[in-house]
This record gives sequence, C-alpha cells and structure tokens, in this order.
Amino acid sequence: MIESGSKKKGSLRELYDIFFSKSWPMWVGGILLGVGNICLFIVLKPWGASGGVKNWGDNLFNLMGGEFANMGAINLFPYSVLCILLIMGAFAGALFSKQFALRFPPLGELFKGLVGGLLMGLGAVIGVSCTIGGFFSGWPALSLGAVVFTVGLVIGTWIAVKYLLFEVNKFPKLSSGKTSSFLSASKDKGSWQPFLGAAVVLIGLIIAFRYTDTNSVLAWYAAIGLFFGMVCQRSRFCIVRALREPFMSGSSVPAVAVMAGILVSMFGFVVIKFMGVRGDMIWVWPHFWVPAIVGGTIFGFGMTIAGGCTVGSLWRAGEGHIKLWASIVGMVVAMPLTAKFIKPAFFDALPDSMKQMFFLPEKIGYGAAVGVFLVIMLLWYLFVKWNERTGKFSAY
Amino acid sequence: MKGDVILDCKGLSCPMPILKLAMAIKKLEAGKVIEMYGTDPGSKDDVPAWCERTGNTLLDTVEVEDGFTFFIRRGE
Repeated sequence: MIESGSKKKGSLRELYDIFFSKSWPMWVGGILLGVGNICLFIVLKPWGASGGVKNWGDNLFNLMGGEFANMGAINLFPYSVLCILLIMGAFAGALFSKQFALRFPPLGELFKGLVGGLLMGLGAVIGVSCTIGGFFSGWPALSLGAVVFTVGLVIGTWIAVKYLLFEVNKFPKLSSGKTSSFLSASKDKGSWQPFLGAAVVLIGLIIAFRYTDTNSVLAWYAAIGLFFGMVCQRSRFCIVRALREPFMSGSSVPAVAVMAGILVSMFGFVVIKFMGVRGDMIWVWPHFWVPAIVGGTIFGFGMTIAGGCTVGSLWRAGEGHIKLWASIVGMVVAMPLTAKFIKPAFFDALPDSMKQMFFLPEKIGYGAAVGVFLVIMLLWYLFVKWNERTGKFSAY
Repeated sequence: MKGDVILDCKGLSCPMPILKLAMAIKKLEAGKVIEMYGTDPGSKDDVPAWCERTGNTLLDTVEVEDGFTFFIRRGE
C-alpha cells in the first residue's frame, strides 16, 4: 500500500488499518462472538442481552419508588455490566475507525425506534428471550423452545418488512425530514476520534480490572462485553439482517454469519453441558411453545421496525445512531412494566404443557439432538442460498 | 458528477437507506443516475454489495463532510 506522497506505511499503521480501515466480514464477527459466548458460559452462563437492559429498567423504576424485580444493582449484575461495556466497545470501535457521529434521524424514524424498542421489551419478557438468549445462545444450548422462538422472530420480521415497504411507498415523509449529525469525522477531520477511542478502551479495561479483587465473574463479563461491542461494530454483526434480508435484498451473507457463530458456540456448549461442567438446563427457557411463538413474533416485528435487536441497538447506539437510543429507551421502559403487569396473567392463563422447558437431548440424546440442529441449519442455509439465486421471497 | 435524481438518506440507519434506494431506482429509467446522500457507516458496504447483486452500477463514492455521496446508475 502506498500512501499519498508515495511514503510507505509503517508496520504498526498497517496493523491498525487491518482492524479499523474497513469493516470486517460479518462471519468473522459471528465466529468471534461464538467463541466469546463459550467463554461467557465457562465463566458463568451463556450470552444474553435483554436481561441486562431489563435490569437497567428495574433499577430505574425501583429508584423512582416502584416495586419491581431486584436482580442486583446495575454495577453488580453481570448482564447489565456486559451491556454497558458492549456499548463502550462499540463506541471505541467506531472512534478507532472514525465512524462515530451523533446522527439525529427524522422525527418519524425516532418514533419508530421508540415503538420498536417498546415492542422488543414486550416480546422479550413475554417470550422469556431475545435474539441472543433465545436464538444465538438458545440454539447452541439445544433448547427446542429457542427454535420456536426463532420461528416467531421470522414471522414478526416478515410482517415488519411488509409494513416497511408499505410505509416507504405510502408515507415516505415518515423517514424524511430534518436531520443533523454532530462530531462526525472524515479523511482530514476528526483525528481526535482514535485518541478518544483509546481512552474508552482504557477506561473499559480499568473497569474490568477493578472487579478482579471482588468478583472475577464481573471482571470477565466486563472485558468480554467490551470485546463484543468492538466485534459487533467492526463486523456490523446484525441478527435482524440475518432474518430480514431474505425478505428484502435477498442477501444470504448475514444469515451465514449468524450460522457460523451458532455452530462455533454449539461445539463449546455441548462439550460444557455433556461433561457436566454446567447444568443441562441452562439457557433452556420455560417458553415452549406458546410464549416463544408469541414473544418471538412481537420481538421480531419490533426489532425490524427499530433496525436493531437488543444487541444491534446497543452497538449502534455506541456508534451514535440516536434512533437506536430511542429503541433502548423503549426496552428499558417496556420490560419492567411487562414483567410486572402482563407476564404473570399471560403465564397463569397457559397450561403447563404450553410453557415447558424443552431440552432436546433429554428426549433423544445428545447425538441426535445435535443432528437435528445441524439439519435445521443446513435447511436454513439451503433456503437462503436458493432464495438469493432466485429472489423468490425477496422484495427487491 | 451530478445525478438525475437526488435521494437524501442522511440520518437514516439500516435498513432505510437501501430500502429507499431500491424504491427510488424502481421509478427510474435505465441509464439514469441517482445521487444518494447517506451518513450510516453501514451504507459504505451495503450500497456496493446491493448494486452488484441487483445489476445496477455504482459509478462513484465520494466522502463528504459528514458522510458519503453515492452515484448509482440504473441497470437494464
């Protein structure tokens, strides 16, 4: 590579550019997150995203005098810490690559972010899962409820894509109007961004390190959260896209990236569970099948309207998209309220057979269970590839 | 370079820029050029990939003050 003025790049500069000059392939992100997920399981439990955001909401509402769930203070609940550090990691990743800017969307988009977030909060609590706990970690945990939840996600996504096409054609004003962005960088501007990025990483590492004295679980959750945020931002890892693109552009790239991550995690999770390092039923949720399908559908619709699932919202918030800040606000508000006022009645009304924990190896053994998941993934792969070629289900 | 049609996607995040581009290009005659403004870093990867898959041509990408300008020619 020759820079202007035909001066050769230094070796360190070359290394820096490998990570931060252009986006990583999304499958690289999928694999790194898959490996990190195994690490999280070894440290404590698999990756989950909505639980952390719900804890922010519970704490906020309790602070205002409400009586909501108490899973611990924000700085002491592993998944809260993970989510915060994930935003920091994404923030740092965007800064290092000079992609950070506060991007204010048109008002209609901000509203869609908020509504999408509220629906995600509702769906995540009703369905006891989100795209991570009920899909990206739920499949590797060999939970059949996770497959049902994913079916719900696909249904919700499909409906939302129909809605978006309708909206862009009939109400184009909703996604246009006054916008602004601040602090953006370009080639010759914003050289402060990488320096601030270094400071953010340093602060993140100090936070992680400070936990080592008292709670090594939190230390690792903080460090892995920081890493996850950076990986998500650099690879633009997006589960919404994996499920949505077959119905939109037809691209199979995001779906394959998510499959890569699930496969890697499944390898580790099966070893961990089979060897009894951690309990069988971990990340097998009591949502088979009604809560999974209902919650999954609501969540799938919400995430597609918002343009990011829980994790997608967190890392894009770190990159400076104000629409996704609105989405997080929606989740923070909706989750505690749903858990307190809607979920109990919903679950009481269901017979036990409709809200089971369904750990597949319990019924058919580990070998066959892994086989079932591999076949499902192969069929999914063949579907997205066939659809990419033929455009049968794609909108454009 | 100048486009025949201007498409302002500033401030929008995924999937809105590509969705609007896809809808806008449908209304265009073959050979005409869309001049698209965007601020989402994702568009830098998505626009070329989308053009390649759909048989449209990305003529140029210009980095501007707060984002990018893409020039896309509608294919046959």
